[in-house]
Amino acid sequence: MSTDALRARASNRRDRPGGGRPKQNREAIFLFLPALLPVLLLSVYPLLRGIALGFTDARAGLNVDTNFIWFGNFGKLLHNDLFWDSFRIGLIWTLSVTILQFVAALGLALLLNTNLKFRGVARTLALIPWAMPPVVVAIMWRLLLHPTNGPVNEILQNLHLTDHPINFLGDFSTALPAVIVVGIWVGMPMTTVTLLAGLQGIDRSLYEAAAVDGASAWHQFWSITLPQLRTVIVAITSLDMIWNFNSFGLVYVLTAGGPGGKTMLPMLFAYNEAFRYGNFGMAAAMGDVMVVIIIVFLGFYLRNRLRSEA
Amino acid sequence: MLRKPIIALLAASALVTLAACGSGDASSGGSGSTEKVTLKFQSLAFQKTTVAATKKIVADWNAANPNIQVEYVQGSWDSVHDQLVTQFQGGTAPDIIHDESADITGFSNQGYLADLSQYLSQETKDAVPQGVWDTVSSDGKVFAAPTLLQSYVVFGNSALLKQAGVSTTGDALTWDQLQADAKKLTAGGKYGLGWGLKSPTATVLNLGMNFDAAFFEGTGRDAKAKIGDAELEVPKRINAMAYTDKSIDPTSLTQSGSDILPGFFGGKYAMIVGGNYAAQQIVEQAPKGFQWEVLPPLKGTSEKQAANPQTLSVPAEGKHIKESAQFIDYFMKADNLAAVGQGDWLIPTTQAARDAIEKATGGKNGWTQTLASGAEMTKAPFQSVENYPKWKDQIATPALQEFFANKIDLATLGKKLNDGWGQVNS
Amino acid sequence: MRTRPATRVAQYVAVCCYLVFLAFPLFWLISSSLKSPQEFASVTPSILPKHPDLSNFTDALEEQGLVRSMLNSLQISVATTVLVLIVSLPVAYALARFRSRLRPITNGWILVSQVFPVILIVIPLFMILRPLHLTNTIPGVVIVYMVWSMPFALWMLQGYVSAVPRELEEAASVDGASRVRTIVLIVMPLLRPGLIATAMFTFISAWNEFFFALVLLQDPDLKTLPLVLARFVGAEGQVQFGPLAAASVLATVPSLVFFAFLQRRLTSGLLSGAVKG
Repeated sequence: MSTDALRARASNRRDRPGGGRPKQNREAIFLFLPALLPVLLLSVYPLLRGIALGFTDARAGLNVDTNFIWFGNFGKLLHNDLFWDSFRIGLIWTLSVTILQFVAALGLALLLNTNLKFRGVARTLALIPWAMPPVVVAIMWRLLLHPTNGPVNEILQNLHLTDHPINFLGDFSTALPAVIVVGIWVGMPMTTVTLLAGLQGIDRSLYEAAAVDGASAWHQFWSITLPQLRTVIVAITSLDMIWNFNSFGLVYVLTAGGPGGKTMLPMLFAYNEAFRYGNFGMAAAMGDVMVVIIIVFLGFYLRNRLRSEA
Repeated sequence: MLRKPIIALLAASALVTLAACGSGDASSGGSGSTEKVTLKFQSLAFQKTTVAATKKIVADWNAANPNIQVEYVQGSWDSVHDQLVTQFQGGTAPDIIHDESADITGFSNQGYLADLSQYLSQETKDAVPQGVWDTVSSDGKVFAAPTLLQSYVVFGNSALLKQAGVSTTGDALTWDQLQADAKKLTAGGKYGLGWGLKSPTATVLNLGMNFDAAFFEGTGRDAKAKIGDAELEVPKRINAMAYTDKSIDPTSLTQSGSDILPGFFGGKYAMIVGGNYAAQQIVEQAPKGFQWEVLPPLKGTSEKQAANPQTLSVPAEGKHIKESAQFIDYFMKADNLAAVGQGDWLIPTTQAARDAIEKATGGKNGWTQTLASGAEMTKAPFQSVENYPKWKDQIATPALQEFFANKIDLATLGKKLNDGWGQVNS
Repeated sequence: MRTRPATRVAQYVAVCCYLVFLAFPLFWLISSSLKSPQEFASVTPSILPKHPDLSNFTDALEEQGLVRSMLNSLQISVATTVLVLIVSLPVAYALARFRSRLRPITNGWILVSQVFPVILIVIPLFMILRPLHLTNTIPGVVIVYMVWSMPFALWMLQGYVSAVPRELEEAASVDGASRVRTIVLIVMPLLRPGLIATAMFTFISAWNEFFFALVLLQDPDLKTLPLVLARFVGAEGQVQFGPLAAASVLATVPSLVFFAFLQRRLTSGLLSGAVKG
């Protein structure tokens, strides 16, 4: 049955008056139900509490009173240069890692989608960063980037690209780039897998038709692959951006935010505020600020997505 | 049509929840009885030998005290702080908490620890010097028992030292002497000294006691920063050695204490300054035939260093404070402390335990000098200042890192340290 | 479409470059797990250990509860993945297909739960689980992981479901199939790659998760793998590299095996036939 005929039939259904809205609601609710209770209890409620904490002066301590101070924390935050510094570093980190990782992952996904020999092996190896526990990843990269006996420095010196060892993680100018590279390494498998799954779902016949029409590989990529992948791309890049912005475990072990605060990501900053200084209220306020800014930022990016799918 | 299944699902979830709540608390009750008491002891012992020694202490105690059984739970240094934060909030902290004074002080200020002064034996109290007790007391309350200390010592490559004619005997090593030696040993592409100052604040503040540096005046919330010549002495000297004499390997300044060991073994630098526990790693990792020694304790105007002992505490909300303190008392006995200290290459807080280690090791592997350096450890003013962790993280560490990378000068360092205190407390 | 030989070669080279970047660290790790402490501290690192020996592995396995923790992690991860998929697919379908009032709310929840610092949630979460007696239990951890993996699963599955053309479903329902049949017989097979990807991610998140496990699990018998691995890191940055490397190799292998198995199913050639037919 041709696509046009399908579409004709489909629109006939939709034109029927009162077509399906209340039924849709009920069906939707039914599908939501199994998850509802645990989600409300273990996710929504703690989240609301966490957000509300930002408006209090909650502190660690036995029998400490918690009072609502409304916008007190936010006022202080406005003047907190260190917080905004970490925010700036967070943005640089997020954009760098997300964009570079996406480009690299797209390339890899395209390659893994072709008929290469040993494709299975390649795909499995590509997932190695994912398979390693985070605590190990950071320590391992510290070893790899070690100035005295790390292989990266060894290789660079053997290739005569540098004459003295570089302390990637300890040097003021190389710390953030080095950490970004590790961030890309860590995130690539997920992005690659998601894009690969998306690529697999593209109808082969579209390519065949284009080839018959004489379109070049590049043209096919631009006008078929990318548009078909659009929803998946938007989904994965927005999620990557959020996660990267929130990342802290990796950088914590790699540099603890140093040297001199050059790799202090906002989440690390909030973590210190909550867990090292015990200022839960202030840390929650930082979280609230981050949520608002990210949502606004993403709001533009996702305008289409949130409205779409009619 | 869909209504029935929905109601059924809701009812089911409600039932499940109620069932979970209602399944009685089998563990409650019995806390008032005088029968067997089980204590949870979370130990952070890391080296294999220390874990074995600690477990033996627990086993010996359990054998001698059938009514008070101690359960050994393995924790890790890395995550103990976060664990304690959540455990204290949730009221589920272990009965005996292993931590270090710098960390546990914060929890004590927040009111979470029990006062042990009435439970510890006089023997224990007398065995530890007052200066060390000060690091675990506040407002007349003792919130932890100090077990093991660490000091900063200078390790030397024996072969290289001999070659350059650097003497390593004597009661103490003055900073001037250290500077001279480092200069002498810097030759032929090798440096005299390697110093892992990735986390510089602890080193600078602890060693600052060598020059009676205070850094702060007053205690608690009202403390004020005091950054003068004494406080800047240690950074000044390190910077001088690194950039004027060029006797410290600049790469090492951005590495951690453990990271500089390969360079030490490879002869890149003839001496290193590090925590005395590094001896453990040296023994394990040094290539065969590598000769090393511990130089005499560092001396400025005195040999004092700030004490940051490992601690054992009991939560204020603990159900068995008395019994927990009894176990802690047992742990503090000379033989037990000596066994654990030896395992971890750390210095016990009691002289009796130190003597035991000297006897057991014959003073080899630098133990004599190491144990000697433990005698001069005392409390530093910065240890009773509230908001110190924040100042350390946000002001001191970045500023010192910048100073040791030669990006700012001494005057700027002083200003940053001073003004930063006001910032942190605003 | 046949590719030119030159392009082929370029593709192989490119894949090799990628794989070196992604896989080299693991080989370094394996090599490290066979090195003695002396070799770690030597100034000249080598990719192959000079005197390989397995003592690191015995050390790692002696570490209390390593194997036990792997079993715990496996149990938790599998349970979480299965539950998440079962629960999320219907919801993702509803979100993608229906114009329900719940959609903006759900999407809002998804967004906020991903953005808000999870570390600040831990304490309220703990306080809720305690009266339910779910702290320090495996089911408790599974439910928490399930609830916190759902946002991602929903986000991704929504995307994959939307990519399936509506016409296919509508054609099926015109032919008389019920909604459920349509989903199971038509939509799900096309979603296979997406489901696989989501399953992989959920498994790995649960396998590697550290913070919730640290706070929720007290019993030594219940600890998960990341918690045990953390024990190889001591104070002041001292790390027992050899045993840690060995333990990490042991920790990484199951995940890789899982991936090797699943990656074959990432392919789906079904779509090309469906619309033409």
